[in-house]
Order: sequence, then structure tokens, then C-alpha cells
Amino acid sequence: MTLKEKLEILADSAKYDASCSSSGSARKNKNGIGNASVSGICHSFSSDGRCISLLKILMTNCCIFDCKYCVNRRSNQVKRAIFTPEEIASITINFYKRNYIEGLFLSSGIIKSPDYTMEKMIETISLLRKKYHFNGYIHAKAIPGASEYLIQKLGLLVDRLSANIELPTENGLTLLAPDKNASKVTDIMRFVKKKKSKIFTPAGQSTQMIIGATNETDLDIMSKSNNLYQNYQLKRVFYSAYIAVNKDKNLPSIKMPPLKRENRLYQADWLLRYYNFKVEDLLEKENPNFNILLDPKADWALRHLKEFPKEINQASYYDLVKIPGIGPTSAKKIISSRRFFTIHFNDLKKMGISLKRAKYFILCDGKYFANISCFQQSFITKNLILEETETKEERTTQQSLFYEGK
Amino acid sequence: MKESNFIYLYNGTWDELLKVIFWLLKEKRKPLQILEEIKYENNLLAKPFKPILDQKVLILKKYIPKEILKISYYVFLSSSQEKELIIYYFLLNSLKYHKEVIYMRNLRCVNKALMISKRVSREAHKWKGFLRFKEMQNQFLYAEFNADNNILEILANHFKKRLPKENWVIKDEKRDILCIYDQKKLYFLEGKDIQLDLNYNNKEKNTEELWKSFFKTIAIKERENRKCQQNFMPKKYWQNILEMESEQ
Repeated sequence: MTLKEKLEILADSAKYDASCSSSGSARKNKNGIGNASVSGICHSFSSDGRCISLLKILMTNCCIFDCKYCVNRRSNQVKRAIFTPEEIASITINFYKRNYIEGLFLSSGIIKSPDYTMEKMIETISLLRKKYHFNGYIHAKAIPGASEYLIQKLGLLVDRLSANIELPTENGLTLLAPDKNASKVTDIMRFVKKKKSKIFTPAGQSTQMIIGATNETDLDIMSKSNNLYQNYQLKRVFYSAYIAVNKDKNLPSIKMPPLKRENRLYQADWLLRYYNFKVEDLLEKENPNFNILLDPKADWALRHLKEFPKEINQASYYDLVKIPGIGPTSAKKIISSRRFFTIHFNDLKKMGISLKRAKYFILCDGKYFANISCFQQSFITKNLILEETETKEERTTQQSLFYEGK
Repeated sequence: MKESNFIYLYNGTWDELLKVIFWLLKEKRKPLQILEEIKYENNLLAKPFKPILDQKVLILKKYIPKEILKISYYVFLSSSQEKELIIYYFLLNSLKYHKEVIYMRNLRCVNKALMISKRVSREAHKWKGFLRFKEMQNQFLYAEFNADNNILEILANHFKKRLPKENWVIKDEKRDILCIYDQKKLYFLEGKDIQLDLNYNNKEKNTEELWKSFFKTIAIKERENRKCQQNFMPKKYWQNILEMESEQ
């Protein structure tokens, strides 16, 4: 098998992992090649619109597990390949030197045992760090069930470590991944949280959930995320719309991955982390799924219209970020500017703050953007929905998902 | 002719521009325009003026916060026609408001300076990702790019930290300027001053093929979204991005 064929097999198997971020680490160059950029850098964008920042590959797609949703499950008849540590190191260096990538994302199927797999991964990454003096970004997957001393060793070599929780509930996991065990994943998270420092996974940990393979609601998913953020200080939870690669009686037979739903989850995830929203603000037991027509913040604002319109020149930071179309950056700009002058609609434009959505929910120096009689739920809802379907949806929605960021 | 009808000239360097601006501020003069000498064309309504400058005017620099100087420098690197005047008024206001000047978006010069410097740093950030080096026969890496703003120096400093043990050359095609790095120092040259031997290393094709096949494989076909791809990676970059060359 040629190196190119191997790369095709092992990149193809790794592509379903959503994480490609290269941000959060400030690793410096120590007498070798490469460094990390705190804000992360996208080097290319694949035809699905996702950012390519890392050489995302599996060490091998051989696996002793038989997870029903996974293309590499033991019982599937697919071409298998294994990279040697030297092969991975040399491709990484050759790509890095030419500025194709920020670094390496290394995951793996499980061969022989979790410990054996981890040892092989450590050998590969050690080679890169120690022999090639590579100081670029490395994200590695920790293998659930591997011994703590190996996780310790790997954590000291990489910028980010992650273990995928895969499904939001234990039931889902038992149904689709009988060999996996949620507590083994959370054991890794707990360990990484305890050890995290400037030299141990400086860019923190993340995880991923598959969306739409089992029947959990958005409320189940968001509650799980919230719990993961609270308990393990994860940097990110990634959501991956389920793509039917296998047929199984326990799997739904869907043709199109639920991309819109995935998008809503990312938007809500942002609201939890940076906008002070709580899961119960966004969803409730009687209404456990997001509105597909409206983003979660607009949906919330329309349900709480009596709190609006908010006066831009007076609203507190927390009130400002609750306005659809205004995020932390804009809110901070508004607060620091209004100490010096009274903000009018055209000042917001000058600050680079988009009024498309915000205008329905704000007053500037007592004025509404249109006749105040327009301030009605039906009018605003209609316009926001129109807006979302009309505009370059991909731009605004995908931005937060795959572009570099926290 | 009144002083307010003077066009002040400088030699095109950042240092000299700062000197002219500080001199104007010290003399309390308001320029009609500040212009690079070579761009000056005879003008009946305005009079060219080259102030006699000495190093001392740079003393004013210490009253200007570092981040304000950085923003001004980025404006200087931009292709904006009126950048010198924007910097003049931006610095004038920063003497008055210090660091807080960046919040005074209602002032035209502040708003412009912030917008333009952001545009420059965004473009530099894009190219930090999109630049593609090729390995040449005599063991150096070579990359070309086409940018609206003059970001060669920003890129060179970025790659100096990142690839300190390689020899490389980066060329700004539009301005025909190059930066050469020899594992020690950066040298900035004009295209006419140097003849490079641009023959690819024999192994180069293999590595490029490997990358192109990775690029194709990593996309999920069920999620195809060319519009989104193009939003993040607009067509104007494609001619310099190896994996997009065939897409054009």
C-alpha cells in the first residue's frame, strides 16, 4: 500500500470528528520547528465548508470495538491500514513546513488494548516532539480505558486532549456502543481537569456528541453539555450531525444529516458559555426541542418581549448580550463608547455592529428604528424568519461552528 | 499661500511619516495632505512642503500608547489613499484622550483608523493560513502571495518564529517585493534586485499530491457546502492556494 493510499484511508476515517480547532495554546518554538497561535489559524476550507487546521488522521482504523454508528466497527468489511510513527511524523513535518497545517490531530481505532493503542500514539507524538523538535499544535484523542500513567504521559506532550462522550445518555451509549462505557470517558475528563496546567494540555479538553442517532431531545443534549462544562471545565463540546454510514436495526435510517439541528445546538452552546444563559431559559420539559425556524436567542427574546426594547445607552452588559444580534464583543464596545457620547443608530453601524437583527429589540437615545407601533411579536417574528432564510445563512451560522474560536 | 494649503511630503517610510506628523503636531499645523514624495503631482491649489526634521521630534512617541502606535502602523501598511491624514488625526486625538481614544468611534478619524487596521490584520491573518511554500532544488522554501495591503513584514515576522531553521523567501507579487530569511535575519528586497533560481525539488510533486488527496478526502460529501467554503476562502486567494488551483 502506498503512503497516499494509507493517508486516504486514515483521513477518511477521521473526518467525522468535528473538532479542528488549533486555538488556545501559546506553545513557543524551542530550537526546532513550529509554534502555536493562541487565536488558532485556518489553513484551508474543505468543500463542506469546514476549516482545515490540523492534519486529521487516525493512527489506524483497525478496531476491536463494534460501535454501531462507526464506519470502522470490527464487523465492517472496510480497507484497513496502520501508519508507523515515522510515517506520521514525516507527513506532519512536510505539511507543516509548507504551511498546509497548524499541526496534528491524532485519533485511533483500538488495537489489542486501550493501553497498547495509547503507547503507540505516545511513541508517535514523542517522535515528533523530541526527535523532530516539533512545537506546533497537537490534539490527541485519549483512549477510554487506558491507564492513568499513559494519559499523564500523553497530556504532557500535546496541546489538547479529548475523549468523545458520543451520546448524551447512558442508554444511548449502551444501545449503540456496547463496548464503550460513559464512566471511562468521564474518568479521563476528571483526570485531565485535575492535571491541566501550562505544560499539561495547555489548550484544555473537548468532547463530541453525535446528534440524531438516538432519540434524545435537545434538552437532554444541552443538559449533558451543561453538566460537562460545569463538572469538567471542558473548552468545547462539539456536536456532529449523524451521518448514516452503517445499517443497523438500532440506527435511524435518515438520508440527510440533521444539520439545522446541529446548528441550533451550537448556537445554544455559545449562549451557555458566553451569554450567561441557562439551559432552563432556552428549553423546558414541555418544549424540549429548539425552534428550527429561529435561533435560540431570538426565540427566547420573542418569548420575553416585555423585557424589550432595551435602551442601548443604559442597558447593563448582561442585558445587552441578551439582545439578538449583539454578542460580548459588541456589548463591550457599546459600554466603553457610551461613556464618551450618546449612541445613535449610525454610531452602532460605525462600530461594526450589525443592526439586521438587533434593530427590532433596541432603542437608541429613546428612538426605535421604525415607527414604535411596529414593535409587535408578529411583525418581528415574520421579519426575523424572513431574514434567516433570505440571507447567506451559511455565513452567519457556520461561522461559529467551524471557524477558529474558543 | 496659507499653511493650510500645504502638502507635506515624506519618503515613504514609517519612521519618516511619524517624524513629519510629530513635527506638524509640535508646530500646531494642520496639513491639507501628507503624501509620499513619489506620489506627488504638481497642484496649483496646494504647495508641497518638506519640513526639516531632526531625531528629536520622535520624543513625542513616548506620549502615545503602544497599542495606538500599533494601530497607526497597521493603517500605514494599508492601501488606503488617505492613510497619512487618518494617522495624523488619530494621533492628534490620542494625545488628548490617550488609550481611550479607541472608544471614540463617533470621530471619523478614529473610526477609520480602527476599521482600516482591522482590515489589515484580518488580511494578514488569512495569509498566515493560506500562504503555501514550495521546496526548491537548492533547499529553500518559496511562497508567493497577492494581498491588498502591504503585509509582507507581518508575514515574515510570523514565519521567522515558526520556521527559524529553514531558509525561505516570501514574495509579494503585487508590490514586487521579497523577504529573504537565512536562518538568522530577514532581508527585504525589491524584485528587480534579485534573481532567484525557482526550480522545484523532485520530491515536491509527491508532497503536493499527498496534500491534495488529504484535502479531498477530509470533506464529508453528505455535508457539501461550496458556498460556505467560498465565504471563508474567497476566490481571489485561490491562485495562490495549491489545493484550489485546479478548482479555478
